[in-house]
Amino acid sequence: MADRRSRWLRHDSWVGPIVCAATAFAVPAPARADDSSDGTGPLPIEIHAFVSQGFIKTSSNNYLAEDSTKGSFEFSEVGINFSKQLTDRMRVGMQLFTHDLGPLGNYRTRFDWFYLDYRFWDWLGLRAGRTKLPFGLYNESSDIDAARVPILLPQSVYPVSNRDFLLALTGAEAYGIVPLAGAGSLEYRLYGGAIFYDTADASSTLSNVRGPYIFGARLMWQNPIEGLQVGASAQKLRLDGDAVFPPAQIAQLQMAGQLPSDFSGPLKFQIPATLAVASLEYSAHDLLVASEYSRWWASLNSSTVASFSVPETVSERFYLMSAYHVTPWFTPGVYYSVLFGNVDDRKGNDAPYGTPKGTPPLGRGAYQHDLALTLRYDLNSFWLLKLEGHYMHGTAGLSSALNGNQPLSSLTEDWGVFLAKTTAYF
Amino acid sequence: MIRNPFHGQLHGPRPTRRSLLWSLFGLCALGGRSAGAEAAPEFRVLIHPENPTTSLSKDFVTDLFLKRVTRWRDGEAVHPVDQRADSGVRKSFSDDVLRRSVSAVKRYWQQRIFSGRDLPPPEFDSDEAVVSYVLKHRGAIGYVSGRAKLDRAKSILVQ
Repeated sequence: MADRRSRWLRHDSWVGPIVCAATAFAVPAPARADDSSDGTGPLPIEIHAFVSQGFIKTSSNNYLAEDSTKGSFEFSEVGINFSKQLTDRMRVGMQLFTHDLGPLGNYRTRFDWFYLDYRFWDWLGLRAGRTKLPFGLYNESSDIDAARVPILLPQSVYPVSNRDFLLALTGAEAYGIVPLAGAGSLEYRLYGGAIFYDTADASSTLSNVRGPYIFGARLMWQNPIEGLQVGASAQKLRLDGDAVFPPAQIAQLQMAGQLPSDFSGPLKFQIPATLAVASLEYSAHDLLVASEYSRWWASLNSSTVASFSVPETVSERFYLMSAYHVTPWFTPGVYYSVLFGNVDDRKGNDAPYGTPKGTPPLGRGAYQHDLALTLRYDLNSFWLLKLEGHYMHGTAGLSSALNGNQPLSSLTEDWGVFLAKTTAYF
Repeated sequence: MIRNPFHGQLHGPRPTRRSLLWSLFGLCALGGRSAGAEAAPEFRVLIHPENPTTSLSKDFVTDLFLKRVTRWRDGEAVHPVDQRADSGVRKSFSDDVLRRSVSAVKRYWQQRIFSGRDLPPPEFDSDEAVVSYVLKHRGAIGYVSGRAKLDRAKSILVQ
């Protein structure tokens, strides 16, 4: 079933040409109404699209892309969506998306989202299909460069490596806005469904990864104080899959005592997780200030090899971000973001769980402090350019696989990232 | 000592001059107020003439233009309509009523468009086009520059 669904979602063979053709024939700015039209005819299909190309360079440690220390252009995104308002209450839409970010994406085209949306009243609407996950302030728009100031959202709360499986669910959602009579309004989102996980993006040892369930809620209180909203989100999910080790690695793990001598694989695993975030955003006139605090609870259970199981670990993530619209074409932004992989070991005094005795402590791999400065230039209404610099302290957000499988504790503790990105959109 | 035969008279005109100056100042001030009262506002918010609404709060108009509220109180579907992003009237409306810069509003809609949440109001290129649209849609709400001809469209108070 999962295979059939993944084939249907990906459709590599025919989605690509459709994207190209649709982009070629799309009329820019379709939301612009023609003066000669009285707007009384049937509403047209709205087409919107974006194309991004970025560049990433790190002072040391490979980050997001292989060879980022030498500079990498493997940072591209293309999306096109079609929406139609069928009636005052009913709307349908879909978005095709393809991207490349280091080892992720590799230009496989897929349905980013598709839905049928019926809004009974302002306080109750239902949406079914593949819909984006409302988690925190920006998860839904985390792949939309034009909708934010920074190139990379604070990676503690919105890691791009999770984009492919924590951006959307296949299922249903109820939503609405409830007025609170003088106390602002409350926007709610309730959702449930399954997660599609593209194993082509996973490491070569993983297969048949799927998310059998995810459910959650988001509440946002639009405060009577102009521009202020306060909210909370929580979601519960599980990822299941198989780890298939090559024979040489099996032998290595057996020698280390991590696999039984009669193990032949595959290793079946489950990762149940609960994610929660508290959000605060002030956005009025030209100023944006946002802050979020999040904790993620996750464990790893293996039904085939008990020694591979990892008890529940709680990670801690928070950031403070601000941006100011200096002119219509120039917006600088800054944020400070912190990630602790384990709240019980913020300094990394312990060795990773389950590693043999004598393994060095996690050290710098237990935390990551990220101070980022962005300059956004809106060259015109359809084209923008961003430049961004990060000062990083710690390596918790890095991937060992991108760094020659070195432990995170052995990577450079203080390092920098420079990014440039240009996006055209309509 | 020569008495100034005009002493009394000379003293007389002084307050008169001051009065005259104050009067002129007052007239200028009144004239200024008068001119201010006659000057067209930067924008007017319009609805269909059959819509019974006469005034709306800024918060409610914001909810309508951001599509948080999609129905008028009588159940009619709301059809907000914008002007071009680079127009002066859009900037005035956005700053004063939505209390967000046009760019911030555009970012709001980028988030909604590309996450599949909603679509922005249509944009028109002129006041005349907005008036025409408002007259043809009972649930429409738009805004035009202060000196635009409203035809039969109903201008409402936004406070």
